[in-house]
Amino acid sequence: MRLARRQEPDQSETIVALIDVVFFLLVFFMLIGRMDATAPFDVLPPEAESGSDMPAGGATLSVSAEGTLAFEGREVTAGAWLEAVAARLAEDPDLRLRINAHRAAELRHVLPLVGEAEALGVRDVVLVVTPGGS
Amino acid sequence: MAGAVSLRRPRRTGALITLVPMIDVMLILLVFFMVTSTYLNLDMIPAVRPEAGGSAAGGSGGTVMIRIGADGAPVVQGRALPGESLTAYLRDRLAEEPSTQVVVLPSGAASTQALISVMDAAAQAGAVRLRVLRLEARP
Repeated sequence: MRLARRQEPDQSETIVALIDVVFFLLVFFMLIGRMDATAPFDVLPPEAESGSDMPAGGATLSVSAEGTLAFEGREVTAGAWLEAVAARLAEDPDLRLRINAHRAAELRHVLPLVGEAEALGVRDVVLVVTPGGS
Repeated sequence: MAGAVSLRRPRRTGALITLVPMIDVMLILLVFFMVTSTYLNLDMIPAVRPEAGGSAAGGSGGTVMIRIGADGAPVVQGRALPGESLTAYLRDRLAEEPSTQVVVLPSGAASTQALISVMDAAAQAGAVRLRVLRLEARP
């Protein structure tokens, strides 16, 4: 009885398919994801239906549900973020400040930030929201 | 007699650059982007409107004052207007007087979501003159 040896598939073909899949995934995650600085705590933005698209750029000030502040991903005190924003404002007078407050954060922690930013000379302050009903 | 010319094709050697390191790098990049990226769909609502600052202070037309209680419920002239009823009320007021100014006075204990919901309702009703009042804390 002759036992014919099974012909092994070409290894290069399977590797090419793997590379294709990995490459597609890579491009997908690069396009879909945002590389913004995230806060060191959980921030769930409030829902709104009338929000407009948020372009990249600017500085992000995050506020946790308890009122803790983080500027550009790093936890800061109340005075430290003002110094950081003032330094950024000196480089870019049209700086956009994005206040990314948790939806449960009390307004006594959030609204004074808008006033302080205004007093500092920031002319473009926006509140970060997420589209409602999704 | 000339020497015999060899027409034999040289044997192909394996690829000089192997694919395995490239796959490694791509996988590392893939994991990097998967872990570091955030995937929330984010929008924005302006908190400071420089172009509206002058006209909002001294414009004609009436004013609607919306108070937001500590529980987040919007109240207009002593009447609680939750959900869609606030949008409907503002729409009616703006239909009567399109230049009506909407002033929001939130409690410091109200949540950010409560303020955003009121701002959202005003925007959906077509209000263009919107102000959020901030009460300063007592020293």
